[in-house]
Amino acid sequence: MTNTLRRYLRPQQIRELSLLLLIIVVLIFFSTQIENYLSPRFFNRIASDVAIIAVVAVGETLVVLTRNVDLSVGSIVGVTAYFMGTYLGNNKDLNPALAVGMAIGLGAALGVINGALVAYGRVPAIITTLGTLAIYRAALVELSGAKTVVIDAMPKWVQDLPSQTFVSFGGLDVRPLMLTALIVVVLFQLVLSFTQFGRRLYAIGSNPEGARFAGLPTERVVFAAFVLCGALSGLGGFMFLARFGNITVVAAQGMELQVIAAVVVGGVNIFGGTGTMFGALLGAILINILQQSLIRMPQISQFWINALLGVLILAAVATDALILSRLRQLWARTSVQMTEGQAKRIASGK
Amino acid sequence: MTDPILEMRNISKRFDTTQALDDVSLALYPGEIHALLGENGAGKSTLIKIMTGVHPPDRGEMLLDGKPLTLNSPVEAQAYGIAAIYQEPMVFPDLNVAENIFITHRTRSPFVNWGKMYRDAEEILSQLDVKLDVHESARGLTLAAQQTVEIAKAISLKVRVLIMDEPTASLSAHEVRQLFKLANTLKQQGVAILFISHRMEEVFEIADRVTVFRDGKRISSKPRAEVTPEGAIRDMVGRQIDELYGEHATHARSDVLMSVRGLGKQNTFDNITFDVHRGEVLGFAGLVGSRRTDVGLALFGVEPADVGEITFEGKPVQITSPQQALQTGIAYVSEDRRALGLVMPMSITANISLPMLREYLSALGIINFAAETRTAQQFRERLAIRTPTVQVPVAKLSGGNQQKVMLSKWLNARPQLLILDEPTRGIDVGAKAEVHHMIRDLAAQGLGIILISSEMPEVLGMSDRVLVMREGRQMGIFNRAEATQEKVLAAAMGQGYSE
Repeated sequence: MTNTLRRYLRPQQIRELSLLLLIIVVLIFFSTQIENYLSPRFFNRIASDVAIIAVVAVGETLVVLTRNVDLSVGSIVGVTAYFMGTYLGNNKDLNPALAVGMAIGLGAALGVINGALVAYGRVPAIITTLGTLAIYRAALVELSGAKTVVIDAMPKWVQDLPSQTFVSFGGLDVRPLMLTALIVVVLFQLVLSFTQFGRRLYAIGSNPEGARFAGLPTERVVFAAFVLCGALSGLGGFMFLARFGNITVVAAQGMELQVIAAVVVGGVNIFGGTGTMFGALLGAILINILQQSLIRMPQISQFWINALLGVLILAAVATDALILSRLRQLWARTSVQMTEGQAKRIASGK
Repeated sequence: MTDPILEMRNISKRFDTTQALDDVSLALYPGEIHALLGENGAGKSTLIKIMTGVHPPDRGEMLLDGKPLTLNSPVEAQAYGIAAIYQEPMVFPDLNVAENIFITHRTRSPFVNWGKMYRDAEEILSQLDVKLDVHESARGLTLAAQQTVEIAKAISLKVRVLIMDEPTASLSAHEVRQLFKLANTLKQQGVAILFISHRMEEVFEIADRVTVFRDGKRISSKPRAEVTPEGAIRDMVGRQIDELYGEHATHARSDVLMSVRGLGKQNTFDNITFDVHRGEVLGFAGLVGSRRTDVGLALFGVEPADVGEITFEGKPVQITSPQQALQTGIAYVSEDRRALGLVMPMSITANISLPMLREYLSALGIINFAAETRTAQQFRERLAIRTPTVQVPVAKLSGGNQQKVMLSKWLNARPQLLILDEPTRGIDVGAKAEVHHMIRDLAAQGLGIILISSEMPEVLGMSDRVLVMREGRQMGIFNRAEATQEKVLAAAMGQGYSE
């Protein structure tokens, strides 16, 4: 019985299942603490927030899988949100598809800089993106003249986007942002599981030297991961604009912390090589629920909410180091026993 | 005769399946330079590790000044005055010379007495008769100067037994002279020196006594005057090969698959010239530091060569990356399965298909799992990979089975030329025989094979011809008939050999 269980459940999936369980436990806990907690309105709000983080976290996962990190995602979101806001304010009849495409393109362009420096310039990712985090933000402050984008200047379709509802299940609305996030997560999970690019990401992350020996174009793959991360941050920037409307130069500042927290809590190994998009999504959901719920508890200060985020990251990494590695060992041992058992059976001619 | 400082008595040590040392005795006398000779894997390193407290012996005893000695760590060995220096000096590049000399010293005071440290360092260096600025940081020093620092460090620890493990391998001729001068100075001060080198002429120049190890046993130990280079080499090899490898049937065909002319890479290897025929096994023999692997890496484009011409199937080729090597038809099975060969958390299937993933893509770039699994199954049967399913991560397989996955991966790339770098290192005897059988099969199918191996019986038993390298230079190519262990080893040690 345990053997069948072990065969069908990999450590990664256990991790994701326990995350799902944790989300449910957290929801039950807060529903006993906060009055009128489990309301559709609350869930709609979380869904909109999670949507943005999740899209950016998908991009970040691509990068983290290759044993790199992108700290500049918050700045890319801010830059695209601001510039698309300004541009749409001046060109109200711009085709919506074109607008989204522009946001993605702008993000991708910023990702190209990161990717080129890391993959071809061989500057460590943490240094490169720490630099571009500051540079992109500074460029935004400089070029914008510190003006603010206001929601009223937006074309009507942008203003309506976040609250548009396709279907509604008893107050739980399916809205464009949420749907976008779901599509992105599913699409990129498929890319990870079923394409050459996905396979290469995992290979490079878990054994960079080996990947080079296997003749993989490691530079190109890492570069592509950063460009895609930039592009998805650009998409996230557009969603940010649609959701909040009023964009200042500090928009999405510090978002990288939430995004990396979501990725790590979601079980993506910070040393590359393991993790899934679903995990990252679950990580984003858990973090958001905690944040939104704690805000509603007046006895807890805003500062502690940030600290909690930090604790969560550390806890996630610690479980990875302690529990998961033990689980993996346990798995390894049982399957070797299986191998030996089978070998004996083969040897004895059965 | 004086009493020995350090005496090793009947030492035995076993690692898993290999008997690294078998009932070995050795005595080091004050003021004597004792040379230790042996092929790769003869047990020299193990003996050093026991002498310096890295490993405890399984059996036997060590005596220091006639009293039994038990070492639990290298620090303890140093406290007794036993120190070792290696081919690559272990200095801290950002600390200066004096700091490096006294790095292991501990004082009760938390503060550094800089003045005293510099004075003491200068005194030690003058005692060695070398001029070196004690304020200079170690980063700028030449390799020889770094070794001097290591020796000074040993002296600061009141060294009585100094082990020099291939100290000259990376030094220029002039630097070797300086090192020998140092060694002789120490000898006059009554230090016992154990000197290990693959350079025969050096051994005969400096040593007072020569001991030869083979397969973990002490074969001979004589004063230098009673030893000849030929005799020493005979002692180092002296075993039968044929019984292990059986009749050798060559599969070499007449057409040349790859020809290499004047291949060179700065500071690594020089003027390597050879042909590989289809179906031929060309062995690469040599001792540690002979740079055989570097030639392999150059041919596979990992560390491309600077000069030289490569012709593959009659066409000139430039190999600058592994991708290009694969496209040309060259595959390289590395010695280091863990770091360079396999992606451990990935399944057998994913590892085998990794270099050729392009061929498993269906429309829209989606991986065709069925085709991929089919390939893995074929190799599982063909090479008898023992595993419950081909979806098992390779981390869970035994060394021999991992080696087979690795071979599968490269065979799946359908190479014309296969470079095998130490294909049987660290796998058990049964798996080894299987790998040898496989190599013969592949040659019979017309693949050209370059076999890099540190095991003399393996390289001689498997190869049609043997190319011998020494310190980046090609010493010669021997036909199977002329490739005796004595000749190959003599060439590998830079020693002319006469029957």
